[in-house]
Order: sequence, then structure tokens, then C-alpha cells
Amino acid sequence: MKTDDLMLMAYVDGELSAEESREVEDHIRASAEAAELVALLRASRLDYKQAFATQKLPPVPDSLTQKIEAMARSHSAKSAAASANDPSVPLPLVVPAAAPVRSRLRAVPTWLAAACVAGAFFGGLFLRPGTFPLLSPGVPSSGGATMASSGLSPWVTAAVGYQQLYTRDTLAYADENPAATSKIVDDIRRDDKLALRIPDLSSAGLTFKSVRRLNFNNKPLVQIVYLPEKGPPIALCVMKGVKSDQAVAAQVVDTMHVVTWRQAELSYALIGKTEGVDLDALGKRISNREVEQLFGNASSALFPLAG
Amino acid sequence: MDGADLPGMLPEMLPRLWAFALRISGDRHDAEDLVQRACVRALERAHQLQPDTSPLSWMFSIVHSTWINELRARSVRKRSSMEWDDDFLENLADPVDKGPEAQLMHGQIINAVGRLPEAQRVVMLLVAVEGLSYQEAADALEVPIGTIMSRLSRARQAVGALLGTPDSKARASVSRKDSIA
Repeated sequence: MKTDDLMLMAYVDGELSAEESREVEDHIRASAEAAELVALLRASRLDYKQAFATQKLPPVPDSLTQKIEAMARSHSAKSAAASANDPSVPLPLVVPAAAPVRSRLRAVPTWLAAACVAGAFFGGLFLRPGTFPLLSPGVPSSGGATMASSGLSPWVTAAVGYQQLYTRDTLAYADENPAATSKIVDDIRRDDKLALRIPDLSSAGLTFKSVRRLNFNNKPLVQIVYLPEKGPPIALCVMKGVKSDQAVAAQVVDTMHVVTWRQAELSYALIGKTEGVDLDALGKRISNREVEQLFGNASSALFPLAG
Repeated sequence: MDGADLPGMLPEMLPRLWAFALRISGDRHDAEDLVQRACVRALERAHQLQPDTSPLSWMFSIVHSTWINELRARSVRKRSSMEWDDDFLENLADPVDKGPEAQLMHGQIINAVGRLPEAQRVVMLLVAVEGLSYQEAADALEVPIGTIMSRLSRARQAVGALLGTPDSKARASVSRKDSIA
């Protein structure tokens, strides 16, 4: 019966030899059921491709395109580095902060996270063409404290690119385990020797979501993520730098608002879209220590906190 | 062509992977996660891609198996076909030089395929829409080629019964009665 169906389908589609076709035609003449099947199969000879081509699907999301491109690029770079053994472009690495509880689909391996940072890294290149010292031969990269000619440090540019990939969904399954967060904060203070304060920004309507240890040019980069009541997440990124203090300054990079300052050998960048939150004023409040800190008790005795 | 070329091909394949993921999952958030997850898996095992395997059907295979695994993990039944139709049908058909009849027909074709049982619907998407050969579809779904052909035959009979001429529909219903009796 099944074979019969398949023969009839092949017949309808003109895939049989002349002899086989004649046999099937004999069969059709003898069997009403076969004739009906042939009628159905003939009626199903439709231009499916054309029909589905007119189906107006939502376009490929930009975020997905960027992720896949970053992933492909990172994978190629990894292969190239493995074969050439000459990683001339340092790719930032992500230190996984914790094992967050996520759906299986959302569990993204470390190297993908690295790819996203790599995407941000290259994305930063597009934001500021010609000002990316890491890619200029002969210019020694001096890491986080280097100021690009635009006035925005390369690490800030990279962090802005990274932040642009964030949506509220990115944080939907973020780990909110206070014990794990305390541990991360402790590690940052002890291992990275970074006098980190996690500002409590709830008075500005921002809920603390996560703190992550990232890496830029082999130096620790801390990303503290907050969620506003609506709109995409806001990040406070912190890196060590030996340069002198610098007052709070605001800029717009692409569609992102960036507020930067330096204080006590730490460089700060507050990054987000401006919907509903005055990042400039918030940056000043943070730098003036007008907000409380979270996880203050997590500090290790090895590294006394200023303030 | 082997796995080493895969990273360079993924961005180009993305629109078709996206459309396939949307059509099998019926949800754009699921589709986005699905494509991302599938690309991760593909790159991790790019070395397994054989020179004689079409990279696109290999990617469809990974998208599909990732989705099946996800459904199993969620322990939920698939979304109903009607729900799937409602999501997309209202956005149908770019009317540029197509008459209303052609648009209507296209809508009916999409609708008819959307009503098929899941196993048949995926085969139709791969073979009739994406143009995979029977063998490529068999590879993608990891079933024997005979299974692909019989699913396709049943799917086409169902679509033919829905969209055929009144004559063939009448005959189909007669045929069903006969076969029940």
C-alpha cells in the first residue's frame, strides 16, 4: 500500500520511466482508489516555494545577525590563531560569573559569550574608525587607561558595543542569588584588587541584576548591570587605571548614552539608553558617593575599601 | 567544502535558518534562541560536516534537532497549527503584481501546510519549501528516505484534499467513507 502510494506520487511528479508509467496507468484504470489518490496528489502539485516566499515573516533580528557574525568571526579567529599561533588581535575573554539558572536554549557557552564581546570589540571599531589602538601596528596598547583621540577609552567603546547587545531578555534569567553575587564581589576585590563598590541605585528606579567579571586586554573589567522599570538594561562598568581623577562627562555614542569619570584610580563608565533615567545626574551621584552600596559586607579584609 | 568554511557561510544562511526556525517554532523569541543555539552547536562540531553533505541541510538538521530537544525538555506539546497560522497569516502576501487570487492561493497553501501533523509539516517545509532532496531531508531528520517519501505522500494527499478542485475533494471524501466502511 505504501509502496503503491510512493509509486503514484512518483508518477504524478513525472519521475517514472515510460514503462513504469504505463504500469501505473494500468493500475489506475483498474483501481478507483488509486485514481482518487492520483487526483489528490495532482491537486497537491503547487508552488509551495513561491507561496512561502510571499509569507511576510518578521525580519532577522539585528541582535541575532550581530551574534551570528560575531560567533563566526570569533570561530574563524580561533581557528586562525590555532593554526598560525600568532594571535595579533587580542580577543577579550569573559570570565563566567556564576552558573545562572537558564533554560537550555539560553545556556550559552563561554566561547560564545567571548564572541559577543569580540563582536562588541569589533563593533567598537565601527563606532570610532581609526581610533582603535589595538589594531594599529607599532602602537603599544596600554590597556584600559589609554584615551582614544575621541576622548573615549577603548575599553569604554568596547563596553558600549557589548551593552548594545543587551536587551531586557538578556537578564530574564540572570542569576539573582545574593550569595553567589557576594562571592563574585569578594573575588573582584581580592583577586582583581579592585576596590569595587556596587552602588544601590534603587532610588533612581534601577534594580541591581548582576555583576560580571569581564576582561579587556587582559585586565579585569567589571560590569554591573541594572534594570530600569522599562527599556534596556543599564551598565556601570569599572576598570583600574592609574591616571588622575577626571570629572563626570557625558557623551552619546551611537544610540547609547555614556557617562564617564575617573576616581581613586578607577575608571567608570555608566552606559545605557536615556529613556527615563538621567545618567548624567546619576553618574554624579555615584561619584559623589550619594548612594548606598550593596554587598558592602562582602569585602575581604585584604583590601580595605575607600569610603 | 568542509567544516572549515562553515563560519563564513553562516551569516549568508541566516535568513533561511531564521525562516525555518520561525516556521517550526511559531515564535520569534524561540526562533532567535533556536538559531543561535544551532549555530553554536554547528560551530562546535564543524569538523563533523562531511564534504558530501550540503551545509544548508546540515544546518536545518541541527536547527530541527535542537528544537525537538527543546520541546522534549519543556515537555510541552507543540503549538497548535491554528495558533501558528494566526501568527503569520495576517501578514501575508506582498501584493506587488500578484492578483488577489494568487494571494489567496498562497495563503491557502501556507494554511494547508500549517495544518499538517508536525512530522509531515517539517518534511513539507524541507522538501517543498526549502528544496531539499529526499535524501537530504532524510539526513536532516535522521530518518530513512522511505519515511520521508511516505510522510510527503500523506502530507500531499492532505493538502490536495484541502486545496484540490471540488471534484477531487468530493472524490476524496467518498474515498474516505469507503475506506472507513
